[in-house]
Amino acid sequence: MTFKAWIRTITFYELVVGMKATMSHLLHYKPITMQYPHEKRALPDNYRGMLSLLRYDDGTEKCVGCDLCEAACPSRVIRVVSAEVPGEPTKRYSKEYYMDMTRCLFCGLCVDACPVDALGMTREYEWSVYDKRQLHLNKEQLLAIGDRSFPVREKQLELQHPNVAFFNVAFKHLPQKPD
Amino acid sequence: MANQTTETVRLMIDGISISVPKGTLVIEAARQAGVMIPHFCYHPKLKPDANCRMCLVEIERVRKLQTSCSTVATEGMAVRTATTVVNDAHKSVLEFILANHPLDCPVCDQGGRCDLQDFSHQYTATSRFAETKRIFQKEYFSPLIETQMNRCVQCLRCVRYCDEVMDVKALAPIGRGTMTEIKSFGNHPLDCEFCGGCVQICPVGAITSRLSMYEYRPWMLKRADTICTFCGDGCQITVQTKDQELIEVNSAHSGGRNNGDLCARGYFGFHAASHPDRVTHPLIRRNGTLVEATWEEALLFVAEQTNRIKQAHGPQAFGGLISGRCTNEELYLFQKFMRLTIGTNNLDSSARYGHVNGVQAMRRVQGTHRWTVTFEDIVQADVLLLVGTNITEANPITGLKVKEAVKKQEATLLTIEALQPAVGTISNITNLSKQHLCVAPSQFGAAVLGLLKAVIEGDHVDPGIRQRASDYVSALSHAVRQIAWEDLAVSTGISSDSFAQMAASVVRGRRVVVLAGQILLRSQGGYGMCLNLLDLLLLSGKLTSPGCGFAPLAEENNDQGAVEMGAVAELLPGALDLTDQDSRDRMARAWKEELPLVPGGTLIEMVDRASAGIIKSLFVVGENPVGSLPSQIRAKEALSKLDLLVCQELFLTETAALAHVVLPAASAMEKAGTFTNTEGHAQAVRPAIDPVGDSRPDWEILSAFSVFLGAPLEYGEAKEILKEIRSVIPGYGSLGPSPIAPTADPSAIDRYVTEGYRHDVAIRYTLPPRAVRQEGTVQLGLVQSLFHSGKFSTHSKGLLQIEPSAFLQMNPVDAARFALGSGDRVRLSNNRGQFITTVKVLERVPEGLAWLPDHFAQEALRLFDCVIDPDTKVPSFRTATVSVLKAT
Amino acid sequence: MPKYELILLKNMMQPGYTGSLQEYERAGGYQALRKVVGKVPPTEVTMAVMKSGLRGRGGAGFPTGVKWGFLPKDYQGPRYLCCNADESEPGTFKDRQLMERDPHQLLEGIVLACYAIGAESAYIYIRGELVLAAKILEQAIAEAQAAGYIGANILGTGITANVWVHRGAGAYICGEETALLESLEGKRGLPRFKPPFPATNGLYNKPTVVNNVETLANLPHIIGRGPEWFASIGSPPKSTGTRVFCVSGHVKRPGNYEVPMGVTFRELIYEHAGGMRSDKPLKAFIPGGASAPFLTSDHLDVKLDFESVAAAGSMLGSGGVTVMEEGTPMVWAALRLMEFFYHESCGKCSPCREGSSWLVQTMRRIVAKRGQMEDLETLVDLCKNIEGRTVCAFGEAEVAPIMSTLKYWRSEYVTLIQEAEAANLIRLEPTVARH
Repeated sequence: MTFKAWIRTITFYELVVGMKATMSHLLHYKPITMQYPHEKRALPDNYRGMLSLLRYDDGTEKCVGCDLCEAACPSRVIRVVSAEVPGEPTKRYSKEYYMDMTRCLFCGLCVDACPVDALGMTREYEWSVYDKRQLHLNKEQLLAIGDRSFPVREKQLELQHPNVAFFNVAFKHLPQKPD
Repeated sequence: MANQTTETVRLMIDGISISVPKGTLVIEAARQAGVMIPHFCYHPKLKPDANCRMCLVEIERVRKLQTSCSTVATEGMAVRTATTVVNDAHKSVLEFILANHPLDCPVCDQGGRCDLQDFSHQYTATSRFAETKRIFQKEYFSPLIETQMNRCVQCLRCVRYCDEVMDVKALAPIGRGTMTEIKSFGNHPLDCEFCGGCVQICPVGAITSRLSMYEYRPWMLKRADTICTFCGDGCQITVQTKDQELIEVNSAHSGGRNNGDLCARGYFGFHAASHPDRVTHPLIRRNGTLVEATWEEALLFVAEQTNRIKQAHGPQAFGGLISGRCTNEELYLFQKFMRLTIGTNNLDSSARYGHVNGVQAMRRVQGTHRWTVTFEDIVQADVLLLVGTNITEANPITGLKVKEAVKKQEATLLTIEALQPAVGTISNITNLSKQHLCVAPSQFGAAVLGLLKAVIEGDHVDPGIRQRASDYVSALSHAVRQIAWEDLAVSTGISSDSFAQMAASVVRGRRVVVLAGQILLRSQGGYGMCLNLLDLLLLSGKLTSPGCGFAPLAEENNDQGAVEMGAVAELLPGALDLTDQDSRDRMARAWKEELPLVPGGTLIEMVDRASAGIIKSLFVVGENPVGSLPSQIRAKEALSKLDLLVCQELFLTETAALAHVVLPAASAMEKAGTFTNTEGHAQAVRPAIDPVGDSRPDWEILSAFSVFLGAPLEYGEAKEILKEIRSVIPGYGSLGPSPIAPTADPSAIDRYVTEGYRHDVAIRYTLPPRAVRQEGTVQLGLVQSLFHSGKFSTHSKGLLQIEPSAFLQMNPVDAARFALGSGDRVRLSNNRGQFITTVKVLERVPEGLAWLPDHFAQEALRLFDCVIDPDTKVPSFRTATVSVLKAT
Repeated sequence: MPKYELILLKNMMQPGYTGSLQEYERAGGYQALRKVVGKVPPTEVTMAVMKSGLRGRGGAGFPTGVKWGFLPKDYQGPRYLCCNADESEPGTFKDRQLMERDPHQLLEGIVLACYAIGAESAYIYIRGELVLAAKILEQAIAEAQAAGYIGANILGTGITANVWVHRGAGAYICGEETALLESLEGKRGLPRFKPPFPATNGLYNKPTVVNNVETLANLPHIIGRGPEWFASIGSPPKSTGTRVFCVSGHVKRPGNYEVPMGVTFRELIYEHAGGMRSDKPLKAFIPGGASAPFLTSDHLDVKLDFESVAAAGSMLGSGGVTVMEEGTPMVWAALRLMEFFYHESCGKCSPCREGSSWLVQTMRRIVAKRGQMEDLETLVDLCKNIEGRTVCAFGEAEVAPIMSTLKYWRSEYVTLIQEAEAANLIRLEPTVARH
């Protein structure tokens, strides 16, 4: 054992290092406890909060009922019942859409999986309820969350191939959205 | 004719040496070697077309890349599929195919099981295509099949399948180049057989089923391989379900006896099981109405009543009817229940409507109760004789085997049918026949006799049989000599030359299969005609030759099983004779109980006994005598007199409406068991969904009855019953993919040719009565429709979209005679009653005949006369003479 | 007075020749048939054609005698002869003239071929738009039938040769022999994959020979004057006889010129066709119909025979020589041809079907000055991917104009694209192809 190590042992150097953060905060004069709900923290930009369903600017739902979110979800939160758009043959939409938020991990895989960007993660997090059945959300509720969280809606692009119209995917030679 | 060559060639594929039969395509050889060559347009069932160019491979010493789907493997060939050149070629072809393919996988039903998706993934194809994709306007295609032509890769598999396999030719490519789209032939919505083959064979999502549209993703579905319940062909179907919901049916290529082909009933008829009208709870009649009850109440009620009647009137006051749509296990248990627990032989099944004719004829002549041929023999036959089959509509998949034999193996097809060759929306087997005799159903007997006469008088009798059974031959010769060619010509309208020509074709064949269809089996004298057809084979020396045989076609999916399980009055399990002491002893030993001695009543006899008050109680499992027998039999009145009528049913049928107790039975989608198809191949039925509501499989209900009646027949699962069946019936157990058909029993044939033929030869060899055709009348015939099978299918929403109601099918000449057109209402009447329906003018209906599909014909049944066969007790009510009047 | 002896066009060049049977007979017609039928065994006729070195005039240049020799010798049952008169290649118009002006020359050739291969039926599959030619042929067949040259008992020898005219329905692809057979059978005119070849499995799955009009029209002369005479014309041994070249484009006297094989393009264009229209220098020419790659003025001294043209990187094809003068925009010319091929692609196999639409759209974009430099690379790649991977030869044909113009006039493409980039016109209004 070297001298240096010996000194460290008798002065409890590790303890001092370990307690450094505690000690420095001990002398902090401002309290860091936030007075929630009167005060709220600033959320990081990429905060992943409550899930929602989105609409285009003309009010039509983006969701095409492809079931890919259901497939992507690791904890089986989502259930989609898709059907044909009445009156518009061969167009698919989600007739029913359920999310059991009690199981959600907020991993965001469903948002990644969505081919039409119909799912969005909002910055809402105040979702404590007395009855957890209230966390079983249907399509209308999810759309309502989207409506209040995303006031600026994406435009449904014109000048597109009808086959991809509902995906909002433009070809590269098509007019691009101005930055 | 298929020559089963054993010659093989040896070739190298990616360094793997493999030997394949001569004539194998490289792509197939590669598959056998475990090398997957990507492809779109190739399909083993179709002739190679080599249009997708995806399967390009490098072959040594060949300059250009070759399509492996059209190149035949030769000795010493060296194929490379994994080189950079080949990989680049695949990639480039994929890029071309993807160029105009929309990227709408998320909303495409094929997403998840799409060849194009898989190959794109495999080759990580990225497209440089930055131009405008071609677009087809969406057009209405058909009620059940949806097309999305933007997704089409123009492999033409659907068009080729429709033509080569189905012989329907309903689809055609329209337009040229990139603008090629698949449409129905002609400017109208698709009107075809709706076999669903195009949906199944489409490698992408261009053709999809409208029934299950957007309801699923392939990975969500649970699959159950089971057997279709609609006809006797016994097609294997894969039922796909999602949360107890029936989503889709398809059939795997090379799976089952149907080799992946289905008909409209199999493909689109599956919804019948999940119809909302299903009986889901036991019902007991209280104060004249059926009210819901619990199983305990219902079973207890039945047990009490049964015990009471049994004590008062003895076991002969009971009768039982079971449907040929039940599993073998249920049929077996039912007859065991009736014979042991109740103690009567009064039991019958729907095989009585016609199939018994064929089986009894086979038992009598060749000593088997099954075909001596298989579907493979049909495909490889060189002469096929079809008599009264209407095979496309009654047994579509057997029909496909016949088509395959004719189109691919170049067999000679001879037909005696009540059909005219015509181009129509569904395929017509007579279009393919080498020689066709158009005969009215009532004169099939005459046509068969004409053929026999031509064989005997044309000196085509096999010398072997002439030598071995000269008495038999001379008796038949004598019998046919009594029939004059002139009379035959008047009866059938066919000259002796035509008969001679057909007889010569039959005799010339090396592998001759005679198929007798529903129309023959169910018409008056069907038993005699079957015997005569067997005589024909016997006289021409074909009966015992390999690959030759007589094949009566069953209508219901398990008619054959019903006979084999002994669910008919005169037969014990294994189709043993009830009157035979040895058989009785053997069964008694197996069952450890004596069998009832009194001969049982058949279907019509039971109805008669019920109306006479001898039978007091009837157990009906899935049968509907009130709905299917003509009103002349007075089944409704007879059944109303019963003290106890117990029905195990899926739906509240006419019979069940009269019942005292209705018990909800599980459909074939909900239970396990086995079905025996028309060729005698037992196949496994597996449950796809849980029983709907409180319904239970029929065998469970029967088992529960027996417990309540104090003579328990207890089984844990359907497999245990099968085990017992296997132990009881000697030789039963040929469950497997390739059934071994029995061979004709020489001792039975000897018995037949020495003595067995004598007693009815004179009756069999007389011409059937000639119908006198009066002005203003047509001969009405009940036929099967391709889109329905019995009453069950009328609960299927898919099939109802194709054919929602009954209609009278008529020849254009007749229609013109009565000033009728398609869609007109018409009143049919004779001295028994009248019936109003809609007319459909079809060229394939022969002149002077009119057809009515039997599944909606309830109302029309009163027009028909019922004749009961004296030997087999088969009721025949298929034809009637009616006058036709346009209804306003 | 023409410089060379005319063979095929000889009769019709006589003033007042109407092509009727009498006039054809007066000019020595049907003598070859009389000489041969029933007197010389068919195999010797085949041998004579083989000896003459006659090669197919339709495009591929396959030796005719060899083609006939492929028929199974011992086959019992019908065989067929099809005369390919579906002349639809842009820049080719020789068959039409041969049929309209001298139909009996063709008919005699057909009957001779029928006799040689043992066919009892011959079909003339004629392009649907050639209404007049079809009418004239029908009339000529009736005449010849009445005179006993065609029918059940030719010239009393008991040999049958029936000829029918079948009019096409307007598809370029039906000039491809297997598509022609499909169309004749009443099906969609899509090419079949080969093998099996028509020689064994042709029309109605029977042995069949398909020959071009000009090929068959040569037969009476070969039989009449002997194969040795024929073999001495042109540039023996590989390319014998004369050919009718259809000269079109920027020349003074466009038209059909029959010259022996082996003369140079310079002679054909400058002597026979009278030189360039506006005396500008020649820039490019297509030597053998639209499906042959372009050649430049450097190739003017290439000899007009199969081998020389092939060595120059093109093909003699169907003999349609299209001449372009200096100042012709080559990209536009290639696009024009590409549009034709796009319109005529039958859609059977993926590379051709999708490739043609892709190529034509890219080309349109480049011509409309909206191209990008990457497009050139894509074009070359696509062409390479189409070539040799299609069912029929259409794939090779459709990439020929692009490949050859890119080879010789790449700078024109580059200029267009550079202009596009300069004008920043890359953004496109999508033009949706409506069906």
